[in-house]
Amino acid sequence: MTTLEELKNKNQDELFYFVGNDVVSSEKIIAPRYSYWKSVFRVFFRKKINIVMLVILALIFLIAFIMPIFLPYDPMENVRTSSTFYLSPSAAMAKFGGFSFKYLLGTGQFGNSILYGVISSARTSLTLAVICAAINMTVGILIGAVWGYSKKFDAVMIQVYNVVANVPYILLITVLVYVIGSGFWQFVFALTVTGWLGIAYFFRTQVMIIRDREYSLASRCLGTPIPRMVSKNILPFLTSVIVTLLATELPSYISAEVFLSYIGVGLSSQVPSLGRMIQEAQAAFLIYPWAFWAPVTIASAITIILYVLGQNLADASDPRTHM
Amino acid sequence: MGKYLLKRILFSIVSLLIVIMTVMLLVFSLINRNVIFQTDDRWNKTSGNDQKVYEYNQFQKYQYLTYTNYTNFVKSKYSEKYGEDNFTTPEYSADLKAIKNAKTYRDNPTVKEFIEKYESEGYEIVYLPQQAQKNGTIKKGYSAYLLAVKENNVFLRLWLYIKGLFTVETTSDVTDPALTEEMRGIKFINDPYGWWAITGSGTTHKYLLYFDGRFPFIHQNWIHLHLGISYTQYRNQEIFDVITAPNGSIITSMQQFPNMIGTDEYEETAIDFHTLTYNAEPTVDDLKNYPDNYTSSSMHRAGLSRLEISFVMGIISTIIAYLLGLPIGILMARKKDKLADKIGNLYIIFIMAVPSLAYIFMFAAFGTKVFNLPYNFATAEVQILGYILPIISLSLPSVGSLMKWMRRYMIDQMNSDYVKFARAEGLSEREIYRTHISRNALIYIVHGIPGSILGSLTGAIITERVYNVPGVGNLLTRAINGHDNGVIIASTVFYTTITIISIILGDILLAKYDPRISLSSERGGGR
Repeated sequence: MTTLEELKNKNQDELFYFVGNDVVSSEKIIAPRYSYWKSVFRVFFRKKINIVMLVILALIFLIAFIMPIFLPYDPMENVRTSSTFYLSPSAAMAKFGGFSFKYLLGTGQFGNSILYGVISSARTSLTLAVICAAINMTVGILIGAVWGYSKKFDAVMIQVYNVVANVPYILLITVLVYVIGSGFWQFVFALTVTGWLGIAYFFRTQVMIIRDREYSLASRCLGTPIPRMVSKNILPFLTSVIVTLLATELPSYISAEVFLSYIGVGLSSQVPSLGRMIQEAQAAFLIYPWAFWAPVTIASAITIILYVLGQNLADASDPRTHM
Repeated sequence: MGKYLLKRILFSIVSLLIVIMTVMLLVFSLINRNVIFQTDDRWNKTSGNDQKVYEYNQFQKYQYLTYTNYTNFVKSKYSEKYGEDNFTTPEYSADLKAIKNAKTYRDNPTVKEFIEKYESEGYEIVYLPQQAQKNGTIKKGYSAYLLAVKENNVFLRLWLYIKGLFTVETTSDVTDPALTEEMRGIKFINDPYGWWAITGSGTTHKYLLYFDGRFPFIHQNWIHLHLGISYTQYRNQEIFDVITAPNGSIITSMQQFPNMIGTDEYEETAIDFHTLTYNAEPTVDDLKNYPDNYTSSSMHRAGLSRLEISFVMGIISTIIAYLLGLPIGILMARKKDKLADKIGNLYIIFIMAVPSLAYIFMFAAFGTKVFNLPYNFATAEVQILGYILPIISLSLPSVGSLMKWMRRYMIDQMNSDYVKFARAEGLSEREIYRTHISRNALIYIVHGIPGSILGSLTGAIITERVYNVPGVGNLLTRAINGHDNGVIIASTVFYTTITIISIILGDILLAKYDPRISLSSERGGGR
């Protein structure tokens, strides 16, 4: 290496000279270090709305998971005094002696605190959504990847799908709830036992499209083994698809619970749930609006936040937006 | 194409059969069968052995099992021997009484014969001994029974179901000996209650095929579809009749009974003369009014059937959805990232993310409070107003999803090379959007059209519940809540058939709309 000092010391006439070839430094490619996930989050946090929503979601999670530990919800607390049933917030506070956080949203069917009920139910809904999404997404993506890649497996699975997809979803869940009970884990089982199939089918089609792309063909010609093909060629390409799927799946379990409780096959009355609260209040929703709109608002807020955050994360996980 | 379709249809039938079988397995083997008696008054009134026999009888009716009563066996044995009219010999009575003694009944030769015959056929012999009160008389409901019972397996049940799915009426359906061979037959007549009709004698129904001024103008009683029989919800009615019969109030009008035709006598009655069925024992009044034994009938009813109500609502909301969803989707794509697109996206997010129950109720509250529209369909004073809220509620989500997909496909097409080329050629933006992008984007939309039209037939669960609409959407959920096995199977078959047909029709329409797409794999296209 010739430094500037040495240059000056050289003969002034000799302005140009050979630098020589440095073997070590020419091996290094000079480019900024690139991390996929780092740039995903950079793009994600560029939008202010995402930060706001993330904070709200974190707050909901914190309140839903921590508050019931200190202030447990008991739906049957006031069941003996019928004068506490269906009280509007102001009436409830008057009844229970002045302002109280507990009766901020009035009372429900059996004099239960709507606010505490909504918070405990939100915990159930969030847990349900996370667990079901985790199980269904994992199983669905793993099976879908193989399903899309192997033609033999495809021939069998497509017939299985044709049959299972035609068994009415409500019927299957009802029969399962009827047979195994309607506790929380039984409900998770009912939602996941065939729930992964739809995801796997969707994912199969996506894999099939990538499978026959030219770069995959080239890779196969070079003898890349199938596990590496799936993990290096196909799955990275589908990251944004997976996140989009997650964005629609997570809120869909909350909606499913609400729907199933409404038609009478949801969680048992021992488990506080948004669907059950809505179902109990819906008959009189024009007369006692607070008992109905509180769980509906919370359910909608959670699902909208999850959906929007998921969609924005999916947009951010598309490398084309990283410019 | 023809060959491919045939294969598709065959595959669909097989998968339909497997679905029926799966559902039968779920319903008949996983759910406790005694729940069907929960709301049965007759079961509550009987007790002891009578109740058990009643249970077997009902289980047989609902195809859980087949059973034979020893009494019937003895009766048929002696009537074969001595003829229909004089089989009640002392021997016969002795054989019947043999089962009363729990210790010695197996020594009786006829009992032995009964047991041997049915045990060899795989039946299980059930003996219900009689129980006496202290004074020696038999306790009420506790007389002795001897039965042979065999559980139906799922394949037999499926076979019986499929065998009974369609029945065609023939002239030998009525077994009444009063109707001689010469009287039976099929005639083409000029129908006094309609235009023309084909009537039968010896068939269960009198009018087999008839034309009249009522939509859809051609009606038939010839071929019957038996989807299943309701047990708890619509007592012993055939589901197909439940969903296709009008369920309004009875309407009377001035009509002539068959014997009055030709005179100027009229009577106010609600009888629908096209539904006449054979009656073996007509009353004196019947004989005065009718020339033949076809005297049983049902009434004219006002209103629409369950299926028609669901279909009317579904089809109108589908039309609204396409008329609104597609143009808005196109507009959003054209104004991408501008105000129109942002507002549209807000709506899409709202519809996609919020539980449908929530926004249907929001809309119900809004429509009821602000526009004073009837909330309850069944009790709406002006019937037509009752349709408004359910139809709008139904179209809200489909508008949202059509907007979403149309925008997505439009944007995908906008970036493709042929659009750039068209622009380079100097075509106007309007022309590019109308004849190039929209047409290509519509390819994906076309596939769903048959599904959304036929899907209107299956009704909507939440909307129909919220607005108290007597449609078909809640057939399955109500059946499940009421443990009505027949309805569960029937509605599954109904929903599944419609789904399968709409997927096939969607594929055909897609192939017709886009000539590049070939359904059969021989002629390019497929992999």
